[in-house]
Amino acid sequence: MPWINKATLERVKGVFGDDVKFKEADYAVSIEVTSSKLKELLTHLKDREGFVHFVDMTCIDFPSDPRRFQILYIIYNPAENERVIVKSWTEEGKIPTASDIWRGAKWAEREIYDMFGVEFIGHENLKRMFLWEGYEHFPLRKDFPLQGFPEEELPSLTEVMHGREDPPSHDFELLHTKVATLEDLERTEKARLKKKAQLVLNWGPLHPGTHGTIWFLFDLEGESVVQAEIILGQLHRGMEKIAENLYYFQFLPYTNRMDYISSICNELSYVTAVEKLLKIEVPEKARYIRTMFAELQRINSHLLWLGTGALDLGALTVFLYCFREREKIMDIIEGNAGYRLTTAFLRIGGVHYDLAEGTLDVVKAFVKDFPKRLKEYHTLLTRNRIWLRRTKGVGVITREEVHSYGLSGPVARGSGIPYDIRKLEPYAAYDEVDFDIPVGEVGDVYDRYLVRMEEMAQSVRIIEQCIKKLEKIPKSAPYINKDHPCVMPPRTDVFNALEDMVQTFRIVVHGEKAPPTEVFSSAENPRGELGFYILSTGESKPYRLRIRSGAFYNLSIFPKLIEGGTIADAIALLGSLDPVVGETDR
Amino acid sequence: MGEFLVSLIVALIKIAVVLGVALGLGAYLTWFERKLAGHIQARLGPTVVGPFGLLQPLADGLKLMTKESIVPRGADMPVYYLAIMMAVAPALLLFSVIPFGPEFEIFGYSIKPIVADVNIAILIVFAMGSLAVYGTIFSGWASNSKYAFIGSLRKASVIIAYEVVLGFAVLGVILLAGTMSTVGIVEAQLEKGIWFIFYQPIAFVLYLFCMLAESGRVPFDIQEAEAELVTGYSVEYGGMKFGALPLAEWYLNVVALSAIAVVLFFGGWSGPQILGPFSPYFWFLVKTFGLVFFVIWLHWTLPRFQARDVTEVAWKIMLPLALLNIIATAVAVYITGG
Repeated sequence: MPWINKATLERVKGVFGDDVKFKEADYAVSIEVTSSKLKELLTHLKDREGFVHFVDMTCIDFPSDPRRFQILYIIYNPAENERVIVKSWTEEGKIPTASDIWRGAKWAEREIYDMFGVEFIGHENLKRMFLWEGYEHFPLRKDFPLQGFPEEELPSLTEVMHGREDPPSHDFELLHTKVATLEDLERTEKARLKKKAQLVLNWGPLHPGTHGTIWFLFDLEGESVVQAEIILGQLHRGMEKIAENLYYFQFLPYTNRMDYISSICNELSYVTAVEKLLKIEVPEKARYIRTMFAELQRINSHLLWLGTGALDLGALTVFLYCFREREKIMDIIEGNAGYRLTTAFLRIGGVHYDLAEGTLDVVKAFVKDFPKRLKEYHTLLTRNRIWLRRTKGVGVITREEVHSYGLSGPVARGSGIPYDIRKLEPYAAYDEVDFDIPVGEVGDVYDRYLVRMEEMAQSVRIIEQCIKKLEKIPKSAPYINKDHPCVMPPRTDVFNALEDMVQTFRIVVHGEKAPPTEVFSSAENPRGELGFYILSTGESKPYRLRIRSGAFYNLSIFPKLIEGGTIADAIALLGSLDPVVGETDR
Repeated sequence: MGEFLVSLIVALIKIAVVLGVALGLGAYLTWFERKLAGHIQARLGPTVVGPFGLLQPLADGLKLMTKESIVPRGADMPVYYLAIMMAVAPALLLFSVIPFGPEFEIFGYSIKPIVADVNIAILIVFAMGSLAVYGTIFSGWASNSKYAFIGSLRKASVIIAYEVVLGFAVLGVILLAGTMSTVGIVEAQLEKGIWFIFYQPIAFVLYLFCMLAESGRVPFDIQEAEAELVTGYSVEYGGMKFGALPLAEWYLNVVALSAIAVVLFFGGWSGPQILGPFSPYFWFLVKTFGLVFFVIWLHWTLPRFQARDVTEVAWKIMLPLALLNIIATAVAVYITGG
C-alpha cells in the first residue's frame, strides 16, 4: 500500500507550517507534530484529506528523551489507498485523546495506558486494558525488565494456596512480578462495569461461548443487554516485550501463538515485514508456496469459524462436517511443516522446507473436493429459516463504524468496504493470482457469514492457480534466498557447506543486523489486518515491535453493537466477529 | 375380594412393566441417539463398550452414579432435590395413559395394556406437561446460579405458550373422536378406518412443534443453549442428578409425547397382522420410534431459535392456526354429524 503522496504533504505543510516535520522511509512515511497541534492535524487529515480509516495507534518509549513517550497514529485513506503515520510526543506523560476522532483509538489508548502509563486527556474510560486494576508497573516501558524485578520476590500462586515448601520445585518458583489474585479480579470486575440494570451476567473467563478466555460482563434487563464490557488479558503474554528482546528470526515461532488458528498467515505477515526491513528478495517458488499455504490456512480458519459459529447457534452437526475438512488441511500442513497448529513453516527469505513429495496432488484432490463440501454447508445453513432469523439484522455495522473503529477483514468487508490487504498492498504472490473480494451490503451477521463463505471459494481459486504455477517451477528451484546475509540457509546445506554453516552461526549468535529505519507492513489474516510496526535502531533486535491485531479492533465494537440486543444475539454477534484471544491479548 | 386382589396384582404388573420399559427405553435411547448422531455427523458413535457400544448406557449410568455429588453453595436444598423428582415423575406418569395394544384375555381375565384407562386421559397429559415445568423452574431457582435461572425462566415462558397451543391442537382430534380417553381415540380411528392425521394435518404439525418445545429439543432448546447458558437449568447438578434431568426431558418426555402422538394421529396400535398377537405392540413401537427418530434427526440438523422467537411463533402463528383448525373441524363435525 503506497504511503501518503508528496502533494498532500505539501498541503499539510501549508496549513501547519513549522509545527509539522516529515520523515520518509521506504515503508513508512510519518508526520511529526507538536502535541499542541496534534488534534488539529488529526482532524484535518480525517476531514480534509480523507484519512478516515483508523489502522493502529501505539507508543514508543525513549527513556533518554525528556519527553519520553512518542505516540504513533497509523491512519489510512481509502479513496487514495494511502497510509500515513502521525507522530507526537507526550508532555509529562500526557497527551490529548483521539478517541473522539476515531472510536478505535478508545481501546488502543487504553492499551497504551496499560502498557506505558501514558495518560490520555479527555478519554471517557481510561482503565487498564489487559492487566488488572491495581497493578503498579507498566510492562512495555524500557525500564521494566523482561524477567521482572529480581529483588522483588513474591510467592507463586501454588505457594500461596499450599504453603511454602522447601526446596522449591518448578511449581514453587519464586515470581518476580505479581500475578493477579482472585481479589484483584473481583476489583477489576467492579471497576469495569457499574451495574445499571437487573443482573450482571458473567461470561468467562472460561465459558463455552467466548471462543477462548475472554471475560464478558453483561448488564441484563430480562434477557436484553443494557450495557456490556469486555475484560481482556487472560492470555496476555507480552509478545511485544518479548520481541524487543529477541533476534528477528527468533520471534517467528511466537507469531504462531498469536492467532493460533491461522499460524501460517501470522508468519507470512511477520516475515513480510522483516523482509521489507532487511530488504530481502524472496524466490518465486517460496512466494507461491507461501500463498498456497496461507490460503489453505485461511480455509482452515474459516472452517473453524463456521463450525463453532454454527455450534453456538445450536447447529451441532455443521461443526463436525467442518472439522472433517479441516483435518485434511491439517494433514497437508503437517506433511510439509511437520506441525499441525503452530507450524513455524516460513522463514525470513523463504520457507523452511521445499514442498514435500506429493503435496501438490493432495492439495489438488482437496480443492477438487472442497467446493462440494462448501455447497453442503450452504445447504445446511444459508437458506435455513432459523439461521436467517438468528443472523439477519443482528449486529449491523455501518460503513462509518468500519472506518472509525478500524475494523478489517471479513468484518469490514461484510459492511461493504472492500478493504483487503491482499489487493491493496500485495505481498507473497497475491499480485500474480486472480481473485475477487466479496463484500456484503447490510453489514449484519448474515452478511459476514456470506462473505466468509465466499472467501473460502475464492481461496480455492487462488490455490488452484498456485498449484498450476508450482507444477511448472522445477524441483531444483530455490525455496529460500540464502544469498542474502540475513537469511539462514536450509539445514541440509548447513551440514554440507562451510560458508552456509558460518552464515548460520553468525545469525544464530549475532542476529540479523537491520538498518536503522522503521517499517509498517500488514497482511490480510482470516481475522483481519495483522500489521507489524518495526522500529529498528540498527541493532539485531527491534527497538520496538508493535503488533496491530485485527481481532483486537474487531472485538472493540462488540460492546456497542450488543447494547439493546439479547444474550442470544451476543453469541451470534461474537461468532461473526470471530476473535481469537491469542491475537487480541498477544 | 378375589376380584380386587387380581386387579391389584394386574395393575402392579402393568406398572412394573411400563416402568421397566420406560426407564430401560430412556437409557437405551441415549445409545440410540448417540449412535444416530454419530452417523449423522460422519462418525461412528459409541463402539467400545460391548458390541456396537450396546453397553454404553450402563457405563454412562455407572459413571454418573459414582461421580462426586457437588451441591452449589447457597443452594436451596429441599427444592434442589425436589426439582429432580418434579422433572422425572410427570414424565413417567405420562406413560400411565398410553394404550400399547388392544384388550386381550389371559386366564379368563380381560386385560387392557394400559395402566390407567381413564376417560380424561388427554387432560392428564396436559396436566403432567404443565407439572413438568416445576422441575425446571425449581432447578433453576434452587441452584443459585444465573445461567440456571435464566434457562429456567426461558423454559417457563415456552411451556406457558406451548401448553395453550397443544391444548387447542389436540382439541380437533377430541372433537372427531368424541372422547378424551386414549383407548377411545384409538378405537375411534379403527372404527372409521382412517388415521386422524389425514383429517388433522395442521393439528399434527402443531403438536409436533409443541412436543419439541416441551421436551426442549432443537430448534427449541433455548433453556439449554450450551453456548450462552452453559446447558442452562441443569448446570449446577452433578452425577446422576445431572443424568436424571435430560433423561426425563430429552428421552422420557419425547417417548411419551411421541406415543401420545401415535395414539392421537397414527391410529395407535393399528396395522397389518404380521406378527400374530404381538403385531399391535410392534406397530405401536414402530410408529413411536419413527417419531422419536424424527425428533433426534431434527436435533442434530437444525440451529436453535432465539427465546423471543420461540414464544412469538407460538402466540402469533400457531395459536391462531390452532383456533382456525378447531373451528373448521367443529363445523365439519357438526355438518357430517360426527
